[in-house]
Amino acid sequence: MGLARAAKQATLLAIVSLYTVLSGAPVLWVAVMSLRTTSEISADAYALPFPAHWDKYLSVWTTSHYGTYFWNSTVIVVTAVAALTIVGSMAAHGLARYRFRGNRLVYFVLFSAIIFPPQLTIISLFQVLVEYGLFNTRPGLGLVYVAIQLPLTFYILEGFFGQIPQDYFDAAKIDGCSEFGVFWRLTLPIGLPAIATTVILNLIELWNEFLYAVVLITDDEKRTLPLGIMRFMGDKLEDIGMIATGMMIAIIPVIVVYSVCSERMIRGMTASVLK
Amino acid sequence: MAVSRPLEVPASGVKGRLRWGSPQSSWPAVLTFLAPALLLYAGFTIYPAIRTFYNSVHTIRPRGGEEFVGLANFRELLTTDTVFWKAVANTMVWAVVAPVPDVLVGLLLAVCLYAKVPLARFFRVVWFAPVLLSYVVVGIIWMWVYNYEWGVANLLLRGIGLTAWAHSWLGDPATALWAVMFTHVWKWTGFNMVVCLAALYALPSEILEAAALDNCGWMRKFLFIMIPMMWRTLLNLLILSLIGKMKVFDLVWIMTGGGPLWSTETVSTYVYKRAFEWSTFDLGYPSAVATLWFIVILGLVLGLTVLFRPGDRLEY
Repeated sequence: MGLARAAKQATLLAIVSLYTVLSGAPVLWVAVMSLRTTSEISADAYALPFPAHWDKYLSVWTTSHYGTYFWNSTVIVVTAVAALTIVGSMAAHGLARYRFRGNRLVYFVLFSAIIFPPQLTIISLFQVLVEYGLFNTRPGLGLVYVAIQLPLTFYILEGFFGQIPQDYFDAAKIDGCSEFGVFWRLTLPIGLPAIATTVILNLIELWNEFLYAVVLITDDEKRTLPLGIMRFMGDKLEDIGMIATGMMIAIIPVIVVYSVCSERMIRGMTASVLK
Repeated sequence: MAVSRPLEVPASGVKGRLRWGSPQSSWPAVLTFLAPALLLYAGFTIYPAIRTFYNSVHTIRPRGGEEFVGLANFRELLTTDTVFWKAVANTMVWAVVAPVPDVLVGLLLAVCLYAKVPLARFFRVVWFAPVLLSYVVVGIIWMWVYNYEWGVANLLLRGIGLTAWAHSWLGDPATALWAVMFTHVWKWTGFNMVVCLAALYALPSEILEAAALDNCGWMRKFLFIMIPMMWRTLLNLLILSLIGKMKVFDLVWIMTGGGPLWSTETVSTYVYKRAFEWSTFDLGYPSAVATLWFIVILGLVLGLTVLFRPGDRLEY
């Protein structure tokens, strides 16, 4: 009995460690390669990074435009997420707290966009942005980002705001709080956990976004990180070492945030299915 | 896990959202709160969608030339376009096959953690990490993993003596689609694992304890108690995965660009290619493909909802 138990425990540990290697090793491998030169890598792709070439980071950052890509990604994503948070929570508050004819219709209309495949809008978004004069501009991409993430953001927030006890709002109204004051002083502070969830979700999704960016941005100096990595890859397919360093520029911020608040991020990314 | 509609949260008594007895709202306030979202929605979602429907019955040349062609695009698409049908076949294979490993591996990992493995918290965090990586990063890493000469996949095969099995996984039309699918499963397993784990912890513990008292082994507990009780969650994850695969684009585009010989072409990559890569100078035809595929997805969503989810809703 004891032996069987030990065998079972050993199998379990074997599966678990095997999968840990499978899920973790590829990224570790890239991290190691990011510190090695391409000639070192072609000699042995799996050696450790001694000596470590930290200067490669400086080199991709300055001479390969990764500084610009990083800055573009940061500006576009941060402003889009800020706008999403405001627009999304306003709409969620409007539908969760006000009774009017057509409330559920508006809810359904906003929410239903979630099943639109990107291909349905991408071709005409290209035309539309050209017409609006927003094609190949950072604000244009930012606005599109707000629009594509809006349904899910709105859905999560509306679900949460709808559960805030109505009595709070009645009391605030009796105390003479304005319509906007109710939103600002009640819904937002109480809804903070849900808002944090959507902020995390949107930050990750947009930081990684590729399809819309590749269609809507053409100038090199406006490229976001995923586009920058792809362009670099296209130009220098054989320069494995430098490509790895460039990828780490995109990975490191995610890993840093993940190591600080992993639980929050896991909850944020699964918020669409789990409450 | 089923997300029940927030409206069904008990509205009686003090908690919950507005009751139908509460006073009529003021229109200016409602409109102010809803206007930004509705404007963005109208300008960047609905208008482009309608424009795509419009495009699909036209030939659209760059710099403004438009010509009404009726259903000619659809006719060509359905009758003579062999690449489109190849893309449909690939997408369908992916959508039907991949959800099973997606959910099954996630479930098995979740059960391992649920069985009180030491360091469970650490494993959960590491296993989830690929979900956070971008497709560009994941795609490039796995192109290297599959590399013929120095990729780890082939090194392992040669290492255990299966030298004949080593080959260019992404370069061979027979294996390319499966190699990309494997990578996609790798990226999303952590997501399914977390959702399954949450569902496992939500199971009533008395039943599992009672089963343990009756000398029920882990395997039987898994097959006859956990899976049936989690069926709802598993079904949701399967559907979610299936719908996601119908739209798959990024990973394919990055790893193979649809090649070699159309073997990894999906409907989404085909739309992109026809619109922005091939010099056909016509946005109408790819719009027709996108429109048709949207109808297929919509039908699928409605069908699955009617079949499996009375009253509940799921987002894709």
